Amino acid sequence: MPKRLLTLAVNGRRHEIAADGHALLVDVLRDALGLTGTKQGCDGGECGACTVLVDGAPRLACLTLAASVEGRAIETIEGLARSGRMSALQQAFHERLGTQCGFCTPGMIMAAEALLRRTPHPDEAEIREALAGNLCRCTGYVKIIESVRAAAEARP
Amino acid sequence: MRHEDVSLRRAPAPPTHSIGSRTPLVDGIEKVTGRARYTADLPLGPTLVGRIGRSPVAHGVIRRIDATRALALPGVRAVITGEDFAAPYGVIPISQNEWPLARGKVRYRGEPLFAVAAEDEAAAEAALAAVAVDIEPLPALFTAAEARAPGAPLLHENKPGNIEREVEQDFGDVAAGFAAADLVLERRYECAEVAHGQIELNATVAHWEPERERLTVHSVTQVPYYLHLTLAQTLGLDSSQIRVVKPFVGGGFGHRVEPLNFEMVAAALARAASGAVKLELTREEGFLTHRGRPATETRLKIGMKRSGEITAVDAEVVQRGGAYGGYGLVTILYAGALLHALYKVGAVRYRGYRVYTNLPPCGAMRGHGAVNVRFAFESLLDEMAAELGLDPFVVRRANLIEPPYRTLNDLQVNSCGLAQCLDAVEQASGWRERRGKLGRGRGLGMACSHYVSGSAKPVHWSGEPHAVVNLKLDFDTGITVLTGASDIGQGSSTLLAQVVAEVLLLPMARIRVVATDSALTPKDNGSYSSRVSFMVGNAALRAAQGLKRVLVEAAAKRMEVEPDDIDWQGESCCVAGTDRRMDFAQVVQAALADTGTLTVKGTWSTPPETQGGKFRGAAVGSTAGFSYAAQVVEVSVDEDTGMVRVERVWVAHDCGRALNPLAVEGQVQGAVWMGMGQALSEETRYHAGLPLAANFLDYRIPTIAESPPIEVTLVESMDPLGPFGAKEASEGGLHAFPPALAAAVCDAIGLRVRELPLSPDRLLEAIQARRREEKLRALRAGRPGADVPEAERR
Amino acid sequence: MGALPEFAFARPATLAEACALLAVEGARAVAGGTDLVPNLRRGIERPAQLVDLGGIAALDRIEERDGALALGAGVTLARLADDARIARVLPALAEAARSVAGPAHRSAATLGGNLCQDTRCVFYNQSEWWRRANGWCLKRDGDTCHVAPQGRRCHAAYSGDLAPVLLAAGAEAETATAAGTRRVPLADLYREDGAAHLTLAPGEIVARVFVPAPTPGRRSGYRKARARGAVDFPLAGVAVVLVVRDGAIAELGVGLTGTNSRPFRLAGTEGFVGQPVDDALLASLAKLIQKQVSPMRSTVTQSYYRRQVASVLAQRLVRELAAG
Repeated sequence: MPKRLLTLAVNGRRHEIAADGHALLVDVLRDALGLTGTKQGCDGGECGACTVLVDGAPRLACLTLAASVEGRAIETIEGLARSGRMSALQQAFHERLGTQCGFCTPGMIMAAEALLRRTPHPDEAEIREALAGNLCRCTGYVKIIESVRAAAEARP
Repeated sequence: MRHEDVSLRRAPAPPTHSIGSRTPLVDGIEKVTGRARYTADLPLGPTLVGRIGRSPVAHGVIRRIDATRALALPGVRAVITGEDFAAPYGVIPISQNEWPLARGKVRYRGEPLFAVAAEDEAAAEAALAAVAVDIEPLPALFTAAEARAPGAPLLHENKPGNIEREVEQDFGDVAAGFAAADLVLERRYECAEVAHGQIELNATVAHWEPERERLTVHSVTQVPYYLHLTLAQTLGLDSSQIRVVKPFVGGGFGHRVEPLNFEMVAAALARAASGAVKLELTREEGFLTHRGRPATETRLKIGMKRSGEITAVDAEVVQRGGAYGGYGLVTILYAGALLHALYKVGAVRYRGYRVYTNLPPCGAMRGHGAVNVRFAFESLLDEMAAELGLDPFVVRRANLIEPPYRTLNDLQVNSCGLAQCLDAVEQASGWRERRGKLGRGRGLGMACSHYVSGSAKPVHWSGEPHAVVNLKLDFDTGITVLTGASDIGQGSSTLLAQVVAEVLLLPMARIRVVATDSALTPKDNGSYSSRVSFMVGNAALRAAQGLKRVLVEAAAKRMEVEPDDIDWQGESCCVAGTDRRMDFAQVVQAALADTGTLTVKGTWSTPPETQGGKFRGAAVGSTAGFSYAAQVVEVSVDEDTGMVRVERVWVAHDCGRALNPLAVEGQVQGAVWMGMGQALSEETRYHAGLPLAANFLDYRIPTIAESPPIEVTLVESMDPLGPFGAKEASEGGLHAFPPALAAAVCDAIGLRVRELPLSPDRLLEAIQARRREEKLRALRAGRPGADVPEAERR
Repeated sequence: MGALPEFAFARPATLAEACALLAVEGARAVAGGTDLVPNLRRGIERPAQLVDLGGIAALDRIEERDGALALGAGVTLARLADDARIARVLPALAEAARSVAGPAHRSAATLGGNLCQDTRCVFYNQSEWWRRANGWCLKRDGDTCHVAPQGRRCHAAYSGDLAPVLLAAGAEAETATAAGTRRVPLADLYREDGAAHLTLAPGEIVARVFVPAPTPGRRSGYRKARARGAVDFPLAGVAVVLVVRDGAIAELGVGLTGTNSRPFRLAGTEGFVGQPVDDALLASLAKLIQKQVSPMRSTVTQSYYRRQVASVLAQRLVRELAAG
């Protein structure tokens, strides 16, 4: 099957990629663009580790056809740090141990990022709802909630 | 530039203390920025795609595997079978009965049969489909009872009755103990099989250099050293031909504490294809690889005095082990060893049976061997407390160990903070004021647990120290910690850096950790049985002390005083009582003079008295330091839907000394929560040997939505052998959750459930069975509709 | 890793173009992909062409006039959950939308996709290796239903959360093909057969859903039973619309999901009109539900549980809504 030229806007940069029509966003990000921060932890849509933002909304890159998000603003974990400074969420997850093994972390942070953009000062219930699709096997989620709270307080 | 002047112009930085401070992970920035490279992320250049062909049959004789058609396909570079390996493997040297790819027989559905390497995924898939397999089916055994039945077909010819290991242990006079008891109660408990569910998928990248005949393997392992040995054994290579590297690992929880078939398969594929092969497994394949906690049936009888004192214990444990040995014999031994060693008990009789079945092999999972027996033991204590009218806390306090103490089964206890743990959670939870007063549907339950800080005897006994750490200090004045300890998210690299920084009173910024590359770092047995903090921590401590001695001597020499005259302050040191001072860079320069790069080694081994007794299997359970934990769980129970909601957990963990309180809290919370998953919702299931829940929808790891606040109190009992007094913190908190939950449910609705998980369907069934029973009893008593007091409600 | 089978991909901008593309054999519609893509990854579906409906602006509208709703099939669940008009007119729909999977699913998944969600079964939602080892199944490539091997039909369960709400509220669906559109009661979209639970013709898609204006004072709610607090499909899901006037039921609609191969509106609730919401009525409601639900062994949770909990949730919800 012939490849098609996809134009994807990832972390503010335009990329032209020759990809199969049936390529998944997660594979394009990881294999074609080298953005391996987006993880895959299940066989499709069960764990949330591949969560990225598409036009600011959380999406599962493992269920998203790359061709379906042409022209949309795609953001991955690699795009959060600005001028070498970690984002408030990254800083908080680091300092408060919202991450242990780190594998669910990029997806978790992206889901939390989507939340804070919509709801800058979420209560605990809102945090739980926003992260409900992201499984973590290490933390028991306690310090993840603390991290999101701390980031919300730290954000301007 | 040489520092000739030994007096400083600017004020020296004060000494830095790292131990006891809440320290973010040294590799945390990589994790939160997405820069951390896990095995599947490594930029190792082009690789072939590996795939495993798996048995559709649960038990059968392999008649033929024909790869002719597959090998003729475009892009297919290699097809291998069990015949391509030199030897079987198994993590325990005396039970090596597994081949990386099945040979002769298959013993479970999903067992690797053959593997392919191809230029891309499509070619690999096509190759998988083109391999012809002929298997003659044999009768399959899916339960321990079927496998133990007389006349059952044997999975392994040398294992009569399909018993992998039968354990018989007797300590003290059990009959006399029961005779002396005021209450003897016997119950049966069942725990479903559970799996690790680490979020990172399994993956291995293997690179064979045909010109040099060398193999480099990057893999998701917790035990790179065992993997190294096993690769050599199964591939018939010399160890020196192999290099094993563990990159970032996305959790383990025991799934990866033994070398796993896919790791050897990737290596053999790379050799067969003369190149690099990347083998990534699906989530389903993770459940087929399994090595989780076995389904367990426990019959338990305890004798107790009115005071709560335990006079005797009689237990029989049957574990459905799956098709191969793995860690199985250790699991059944742990179940016996840690069943009773938490308390002072009068006498013990233990019978354990590890049974082979045609299911994916079980193995070690967080809290190895001790979780399901703890559920039984603590549940029965709770029930007996109620019968005797004793508070569950009183029963625990009646049986506390006072260190130093030698348990009945010859385990050495040098520190025990369980009493403080009990006090802490009793108070934090408001137990005395609140228990029994929360109203119908809400309840509190408690339980205790303990775990080892590393198995006192390593799996492979080579006579070497149990842990080795190298420190390198060079012209750059940075210290590199070289360790084979596998950081799998538990924070071991951070802890080792802290230990070294503390001894030298230096800031963490001076310390780098290079870990788990067999070409660079000293051998380490791996991250299992919570051994790293204790053992590798001790080795790091000794290495840092050694380095400090070298530095102090160099400073003394330079300032022409005796080493004892040097007051070491980290970033600087001075001659005690004077203002003669050198900064760290000057000291390093002085130390490097004549010798060059400094390399200092620290080692540690468990003292012989902590290595257990002389009876068969005595080594399992032995450790240099036991952690202790107590927890209280509060639940609300919906009696119409069977839904249990965990409102809050209070846990106190005796970790000896919290080297990094932030990380210890995180470990304890994670352990407690994993216990919650097992207690409430997690369960593997099989349909004629096929896993029904081989995904994260049907294997129900708790989400953030229903996960409770977990309040942690750290108890510091200062273990005499632990580094700075530290003991383990990653496992011991798990075991007490399931029994505390069952006790809380009983407190809430008066119903005692002795099966895990307490999933809504199971609980509702029990609630309805009780209703039927009550109705029946009321009818028999001639009082239809009358309220019958619930047997177990106080 | 886990690449999809090959297919051609098209992303039309209009409904007409989409219908034309879908008229070709082997073409299949995809919107959010949250239901279809996992099945593609497992080799359950092998379409020659996927037609992405996500670029069709006309399907992405929510309209409200005097309480009547016209909902484009392309509206995401996230939007349904947050829309103020829906919250006012049919709060159960927002509740149901919010209860689906996780946020990242909901910002992709659509109304149409949820209504046309494939049925689910532990013998079906498995990898190709697994299904082959199990001798395939009646729903795909085989001739035995492993849930009920003696029977002749597939017992996979429908597990969409939105349909019961819309059924309870008396919604209609507008479907489209290359030949034009038709409007049918939503219930007519489904049949009690797990292998063919949708009555849509090949190439036909759901374009819009119409919900009639509510009777004044109507309340609505949705409850689902699941083992975890999120992610899970309903073991049983119940939607209720209720109007109580002068202490008596004036209108009662109950929709169910997760228990059968189709979502359905509980038959016989008109018999409750004029009665007060009391224990006797709730007991009758439970009986009615018990008669009409037929959960089978298609989930890892026991079927008797799904049966029980369906009536418990319905009773609770009716009581809660009646209490205001």
